[in-house]
Amino acid sequence: MRIAWLELRRRPSRFVTATAILALLATLLMLLGGLLDGLLGGSTSAVAAQRGDLLVFSSTAEKSFVRSRIPPAQQATVAQVPGVAEVGGIGVAQLAARVPGKGPRDLADVALFGYELAPRGVPAPPGPGEAYADSSLERKGVRTGVTIEVGPARTPIRIVGTVNGLSYSDHGTLWSSADTWRTTINANLPEAGVGPGVFQALVVRVDPGADATAVAGRIDRATGGATESLTVSDAVDAIPGVSQQRSTFNQIIGVTVVIAVVVVALFFALLTVERTVLYGVLKALGATSGTLFGGVVLQGVVVTAIATAVGAGIALLLAAVIPPGTIPYTLLASRVLSSALFLLFAAIFGCVFSLRRVLRIDPASAIGGGQ
Amino acid sequence: MFLALKEMRRALVRFGLLMASIGLLVFLILFQQTLQTGLITSFVGAIRNQSAPVLVYSVDGRRNLQGSIITPDLQNKIVAVPGVGSAGEIGQGTFSVTAGGKLTTAAIIGYQTEGLGSPTTLVSGRLAHADGEVVALASSAGDGFGLGETVVVQPGGLKFRVVGQATEIGYQASPTLFSTYPTFEQAVLAANPDARATLPAVIAVAPAPGITDAELVTRINDAVPGADAVTRTDAVASTPGVAQVQQSFQVIFVLFGLVVPLVTGLFFLIVTLQKASSLTLLRALGAPSSALVRSLLFQVSLVLVIGIGIGIALYTPLSSQTLGSIPLSFQTGAVVLWSVVLFVLGLLSALVAVRRVLRIDPIEATTGAGLGR
Repeated sequence: MRIAWLELRRRPSRFVTATAILALLATLLMLLGGLLDGLLGGSTSAVAAQRGDLLVFSSTAEKSFVRSRIPPAQQATVAQVPGVAEVGGIGVAQLAARVPGKGPRDLADVALFGYELAPRGVPAPPGPGEAYADSSLERKGVRTGVTIEVGPARTPIRIVGTVNGLSYSDHGTLWSSADTWRTTINANLPEAGVGPGVFQALVVRVDPGADATAVAGRIDRATGGATESLTVSDAVDAIPGVSQQRSTFNQIIGVTVVIAVVVVALFFALLTVERTVLYGVLKALGATSGTLFGGVVLQGVVVTAIATAVGAGIALLLAAVIPPGTIPYTLLASRVLSSALFLLFAAIFGCVFSLRRVLRIDPASAIGGGQ
Repeated sequence: MFLALKEMRRALVRFGLLMASIGLLVFLILFQQTLQTGLITSFVGAIRNQSAPVLVYSVDGRRNLQGSIITPDLQNKIVAVPGVGSAGEIGQGTFSVTAGGKLTTAAIIGYQTEGLGSPTTLVSGRLAHADGEVVALASSAGDGFGLGETVVVQPGGLKFRVVGQATEIGYQASPTLFSTYPTFEQAVLAANPDARATLPAVIAVAPAPGITDAELVTRINDAVPGADAVTRTDAVASTPGVAQVQQSFQVIFVLFGLVVPLVTGLFFLIVTLQKASSLTLLRALGAPSSALVRSLLFQVSLVLVIGIGIGIALYTPLSSQTLGSIPLSFQTGAVVLWSVVLFVLGLLSALVAVRRVLRIDPIEATTGAGLGR
């Protein structure tokens, strides 16, 4: 172990290229993960923030807000279901907004939510014609105190506060009362119009200790199959493209980890071949195969740790320089940590390829016994 | 060459690992290239493969069929612009439908005038002419959208019959149906009785004789402030999300593309250093530097060819699959391009090892200095 450590300190140049390659792979892993988190966050964070246990859609809506309609009578039925503590309607309309001071073609994409139960990070519904705006819209000039005009009918909405990290379908969100949402959608999206008291979905909080899945089944039975109730996390996964994006990126990340394993294996197999004579001498002096292999693993882990740190630095730099609204990239601490763990596994597993060669070294070769 | 091959046979694990890593990298690059193309086609194929040369959105639509609404007043202003040869309405909606006995999602695009919004990649059947007729995305035939099958809008129960199939007409990664405009209007009203009206999402226009598509775009945008006219090509490129997908993949391609030459270069540099004494001896015995370099480049070329071959072999069966709702296809151009790029980069990366070989001094065979490091 000590010799391996000394070699790392005194001959760092020997490990530079392998470190560079692994740093590139670490950057790739974090970049891929950051893209996945960015894509998912941009599509789902507003739904994931719902402070409820279940979301209820109409059964023919295929879990789509746009196609779902829950009339007032159905909402009342759901509220009576045993195990339901609280019910609130929710709806969304994706529109463009004109912002004061911006050009006539420089519009902001917004997703206007109407809600009854406030999601995490959102205050109680504001007054008529008012909304809270997600902070991502600030770069488009949507700030507290500003009145924007939403949709082709130019419905005025005054911004009365800011919320953070709530996007839907890559649109910054606006959070308004149900009536403001209904007025706006009917004025601007006649094909998607909603009747009085109608919502697109319901957010349901179940009684403390109640089984949310069982309550979901009871709700759907109570409405005669007119509704489809699912947990919030299932509703997030049901957003079009989310599960496909997640599985595709995870497969790409998996193959990248395999490549890291192969690269580590290749590099340390080459180093082990180079050190065969040295290892023979060390074995002749009493070093065990375990000690020698431990040295290889130590070097692999140190090289990988440095590469991961470099990769994380580059990934953080990318997060800082990528302009908002271009590449959907969000680097989470959990993603950096999981990437580091994947690479650590790759380092140790890759070094195992060298174990066979270390075990095969005959101490007698040190004094010419192998010749 | 004989020695080069013999060395590779004797160190099969090392060369095998290198070929495997190159193969996996090539596979990943090709797969992602195909995924990118498949994603974009499944999101905007319907715009790319429709017949209108110019599409006019409302400014509020942000180049998104789902968000754009053309009011009658705006439509009148657009069609009155000098240079408009012909115009027709196009509507789009996403609906829940029953197809093949299953509830699923489908995008319906209704066009008023054949040749201004109708699909251009028909592979079987015919275009829709009557109410209730649709042309379906060919790759969704297995999901109940095959020729002659019936698709039912839910709720509402409005029935469509598939009378034609066209390739690469997907929209928003959903099975996509092209119908006449009245059929589209019926679908909207059947699915949502609360709908106040059915307005077109875009106006499809063709220029009058002597006017180019680009000139018509400029004229409409100058004359009608609320209109956002774009050519078909620009409409595809500027659809929300398309540029982001392309930029994201470009970054990934560049990084993966860099790993291949780095791994190859490092491997051959280390191997060259390891056999320094043998190479010096060969030089002392009269082997010219060019022979040693040829031998090295032969090994590099062989490793790259086999590695790239492994990548293509892994990619080929996957390229004919459907990933979720995204049909993939074998990208011959991408295979050729990446094979050439990675082969050239791999060869260039071996130049460091070549330089080391050229620096060998045969006299050092008598001193044991070898390459020096």
